[in-house]
Amino acid sequence: MPLFGELFLSEILRKPVFDPRGDITGKVRDVVVVKGDPLPKLSSVVVERNRKSFAIKWESINLFNKRLISTYLNADALSAYDFSDDDLLVVRDILDKQIVDANGAKVVRVNDIKLEGYEDEAVLIAVDVGMRGIMRRLGIERGSEEFMRLFKTHLPYNLISWNYIQPLKPKLNAITLTVPRQMVSELHPADIAEIISQVPREEGAHFFKGLDIETAAEALSELEPERQAEIIDTMRAETAADIIEEMPPDEAADLISSLSAEKAKEILEHIEREEAEDIHELLGHEGDTAGGLMTNVFIAYPPDITVKEAMERFRKDAEDIETVYYIYVVDDLEKLLGVTSLRELLLAEQEERLAGIMETKVKSVTPEADELVVAEIISKYNIVALPVIDNEGVLLGVVAVDDVIDRILPPAAKRQRRRV
Amino acid sequence: MSRWKKFLLFFSVMGPGIITANIDNDAGGITTYSVAGARFGYGLLWTLIPTTVALVVIQEMVARMGVVTGKGLSDLIRERYGVRTTFYLMLGLLIANFGTTVADFAGWAASMEILGFSKYVMLPIGAISIWILVTRGSYRSVEKVLLLACLIYIGYVISGVMARPDWAVVMKNTVVPDITWNSEYIMLSIAIIGTTITPWMQFYLQSSIAEKGINKEDYKASRLDVVVGCFITDIVSFFIIVTCGALLFPHGIRINEASEASLALKPLAGDYASLIFGISLANASLLGAIIVPLATAYYICEAMGWEAGINKSFSEAPQFMWIYTLMIVFSSLLILMPGAPLVSIMVTSSVINGLVLPFVLVYAIALVNDKKLMGEHTNPSVYNYVAWATIAVVIVLTAVLIVSTIVPLS
Repeated sequence: MPLFGELFLSEILRKPVFDPRGDITGKVRDVVVVKGDPLPKLSSVVVERNRKSFAIKWESINLFNKRLISTYLNADALSAYDFSDDDLLVVRDILDKQIVDANGAKVVRVNDIKLEGYEDEAVLIAVDVGMRGIMRRLGIERGSEEFMRLFKTHLPYNLISWNYIQPLKPKLNAITLTVPRQMVSELHPADIAEIISQVPREEGAHFFKGLDIETAAEALSELEPERQAEIIDTMRAETAADIIEEMPPDEAADLISSLSAEKAKEILEHIEREEAEDIHELLGHEGDTAGGLMTNVFIAYPPDITVKEAMERFRKDAEDIETVYYIYVVDDLEKLLGVTSLRELLLAEQEERLAGIMETKVKSVTPEADELVVAEIISKYNIVALPVIDNEGVLLGVVAVDDVIDRILPPAAKRQRRRV
Repeated sequence: MSRWKKFLLFFSVMGPGIITANIDNDAGGITTYSVAGARFGYGLLWTLIPTTVALVVIQEMVARMGVVTGKGLSDLIRERYGVRTTFYLMLGLLIANFGTTVADFAGWAASMEILGFSKYVMLPIGAISIWILVTRGSYRSVEKVLLLACLIYIGYVISGVMARPDWAVVMKNTVVPDITWNSEYIMLSIAIIGTTITPWMQFYLQSSIAEKGINKEDYKASRLDVVVGCFITDIVSFFIIVTCGALLFPHGIRINEASEASLALKPLAGDYASLIFGISLANASLLGAIIVPLATAYYICEAMGWEAGINKSFSEAPQFMWIYTLMIVFSSLLILMPGAPLVSIMVTSSVINGLVLPFVLVYAIALVNDKKLMGEHTNPSVYNYVAWATIAVVIVLTAVLIVSTIVPLS
């Protein structure tokens, strides 16, 4: 059993590997890992001698610890090693690279890698993303620890178990475990958006492709328009259409309007007809007006149905609709007659008609109204959504309070990290 | 809407190059050009053309890397050369940029004194407003301030025209080198290159381009942005030299500081020229003082894998916030402290800048020629000769500058 206990990769890099005669076969340059159960394991050690690389299979390694590394093979019997893109090399492909810490929902850099002996194998158990890792690589871990002791504190360990790691590049998929993907989908979409906005765009797009459609749609809504467009640009139109269908029509329209004309057309062709129509309607409005902010899916019922009937319909309709707090009452021509809230509906007598409980003095705006006017009305009357009607009084859509807030006060994740 | 959008798109690609170039003319740069103009008239104008060429060659490579890889230079160096190299490089950059920040705050203090304000009042105000602007303001407000500040550089162009130089002589001196073989002349010509091509600019340019997420398809627009930016830098330098060359040189006025130029201009060219020089220096210094500490904190944290971002708090991104804050605090304290060794700090910083620069340039050219990283966007071989030659010349000249700073030529 070559490896007992645990060691850090930096403790063996550039260390000599001895053969049975005591000759140096070369110095450790890298290690090749392969998928293993439950953790990736070392398959060979790559050593370098006179600028040539050789691979020593794990089975031929005799001792493997931070004091001594040796092999059963003779120095002159080693097989040459060609750096291949198909192999996963820890130094080349993982060390110093960015990874997503799925648990902390942030992007970190791999400072060191921890190996552990497990049933005759050496497995990767964790990455070091903390100060300690940096200090160890610089060869001053102990020195800094003593320095910190002077201040009655200590260098914190900052290890992330391999189980919580989500490699960013597709190349590392060979050893991607099933756990991290699920973990990533469990993150809050705003956190996912934050991660995507922190990494180079290609890696962001790969990361994004690993998400399920629902999470993808939610995370996409949290990103800023340019970034959304970049990601959609890298996708096939069908996939993009699936994701966009999941988004509320107002956000989908915003996204589509920031794409190139051909891409937008291509995607719209793949979106289901009904949803595509909704989006088309919204595309005609200027972005900073009520028309541009509104969504055209809302709950609207005729005045003569009973509360009981309305509740039944509501249970069916509410599932796909973003703003459900208000129930609008419209006539046959879709003219807005009044509004009632979910609470009133719940408190009203079952047999009462909607016409009887609705509030008829409804605050509303036309599609041309400026977003600031919309915000003022929403704030002044303390309402959650404001209906948008045309000159004939036909209800076109509603602006929800969260859409207005996003405009006036962009959420942190939508703000660019830096551009100064 | 669509025309407006196109215009915006154009602007979204334009920017990093121009802003980087403008900040390049910070307090240190302006001092060098003013001194050069006052001491040798138009005699050093010719250096601007080769300097511009070198600047364009280097900035273009770095910008291309930013566009193709979508990563900053410090990220690439960390991923390719490991933590040890990166750590020492970043340490060097931290010290060098600290010196630059000190120079910028010194420029701010001096220009405030000229404009009639006490530095003991204006320096803390400047430092605190920078800190608040960056840590408490949104990106939009920071960008607006920066763009406005970039416009003020036009002041130097105006003062150059107002100085009524003999344009025929100016043009001749710009194109035909008229080398005076004395040590001061040689030192100044090297200093012009040293102040124009700095390590932190390469990091700053590449990350701001990567950050903008400019696509490979838009690279042409981005290259134009970089080239235009390089020309703007040197046009501003040109007018500073011309102003001082036309007004101070004939009277044999020697200066050592950019602020002295402003004072010396008063009796010769009137209050306006002096005021323009004073305000432009204040502006350039403040702009440098905003960007340099911020940029430093960013590269270091990105390379080391620490949380970074101006919207983060001290507990979320401790290293980032502390590097940024301490650079500003220590620089301002040094300026306010009577008898602080300002000159030796700035000299040390320029020596370290000179020591770091060759590494940065060699890493940059090695990375830009890496097929795995850049694909078909590596340097064409002819371009490589030009790039290596430029880098070699810059390295030799910086080496001369370092040696002569440590062992002054008599």
